Amino acid sequence: MIDVAANKLAKTPLHDEHVALGGKMVPFAGFEMPVQYPSGVLKEYHAVRDGGAGLFDISHMGQVRVTGADSLKFLQYVTTNDVSRLVDGQVQYSALLNESGAFIDDITIYRVSDNEYYLCINAANRRKDAAHLQTQTANFDVKVADESDETTLLALQGANAQALLQPLFSSSLEDIGYYHFAQGKIADVDAMISRTGYTGEDGFEIYIPNGIAVEVWKRLLAGGATPIGLAVRDMLRTEMGYALYGHEISDTVTPVEAKLMWVTKLDKGDFIGRNAVEARKAAGPKKRLIALQLTERGIPREHYKVFVDGEESGEVTSGMHSPMAGGVALAYVKPEHAKSGDLSVAIRNKYIPAERTTTPFVRSNVRK
Amino acid sequence: MTIPAELKYTKEHEWVRVEGNVATFGISDHAQEALGDIVFVELPEIGRTVGAGEAYAVVESVKAVSDIYAPVAGEVIEVNGALESEPEKVNADPYGAGWIAKVKMSGDAVKLLTGDEYNTFLEE
Repeated sequence: MIDVAANKLAKTPLHDEHVALGGKMVPFAGFEMPVQYPSGVLKEYHAVRDGGAGLFDISHMGQVRVTGADSLKFLQYVTTNDVSRLVDGQVQYSALLNESGAFIDDITIYRVSDNEYYLCINAANRRKDAAHLQTQTANFDVKVADESDETTLLALQGANAQALLQPLFSSSLEDIGYYHFAQGKIADVDAMISRTGYTGEDGFEIYIPNGIAVEVWKRLLAGGATPIGLAVRDMLRTEMGYALYGHEISDTVTPVEAKLMWVTKLDKGDFIGRNAVEARKAAGPKKRLIALQLTERGIPREHYKVFVDGEESGEVTSGMHSPMAGGVALAYVKPEHAKSGDLSVAIRNKYIPAERTTTPFVRSNVRK
Repeated sequence: MTIPAELKYTKEHEWVRVEGNVATFGISDHAQEALGDIVFVELPEIGRTVGAGEAYAVVESVKAVSDIYAPVAGEVIEVNGALESEPEKVNADPYGAGWIAKVKMSGDAVKLLTGDEYNTFLEE
């Protein structure tokens, strides 16, 4: 990991394990990551969706610790959600915006105590986020520390995740609610585990120091977990309709377009991007995110054009063939097309008809 | 990986079986393995005339969209409609139940390889 030289991909502490398993390694967000393992993507998919447990190396993601007396004030100012609603041991989905109200990143915030928070950020945005947060500290009594290089992050997702993980962890997993976390020990080393994920299944995200990454990975595989690559990770999150930076959200859209006003609390006080979001909300968005399902055979893929009543209206941001729901996609369309008009997706010179639908595209099994 | 000796192959990883003036097309074992789980096959229209080396079908895996090229020219007379509901047959049995289309040959062909030549090509 550490510094990524030009054209040189970083490796997670589990890189050699992926290679040993026959993982097909591809460049992703500056890292060399497994896109799939030899058993094939559909086997991986069903391991997570059909009662098993999938193990994901997501160590490419970044972690930032915020400490100090002004931690809450600082995070209220730099993030969109209302951090004051968090209690110790709780996790919150949120976002960092720029002054124009557009996304710098979407993040999760862990409240460790009233003067200590932990942020999980996207791999591709890690340095940008850390630099942004650092520059914003000037008027606050806080310290921002990028702990990404020391931290291994695993996700264990699926109905069997808890049974498989509990023997490794010193505290009760049963007591961790959805979007909550606990600190304890794995292999006598400090670990943090949250009941979170991006798959729509019950499961956990596991923060451990790099030193025990290989041991924990191997123990979970020995316990019956199936290693899952990026391809299936993307399938699972798309089936839930979850936004992904670089697809549904980016530095050209605001929470108004991206349907993320539920994590943007305009009434919590001032925060970066607030005024711009409020103005955008009042003026109306330039485009709107919709969920669609093809009514004929086909796979709507990213960047395919979306037509409404024969007029080009926008494009697919994430799309897939869902083993359960068929051709489904998230797409931006003109605001006037968000709710009405005959929808189709242009696939290789054909217009495949589609219907608006709601997310998740398949049933979510998270433990609420 | 299997490469049946009775078939001919192309460097684009298609196979062709010639019986009389009818040619059956599919993709090789190597191709299906490289593509991974196939989740969608777009078949040509019956009656369509395809040129040698022309894209006549599309195979989609989870992550990739791949054109499939005709090894020989001809008129499409039959397609494997079962692939519309069971595209995974291309993975499971690329030379059998995973065939894609049959054409009535009109003569032209791209450079075709024997099984041995295709095997050598894959090893290069």
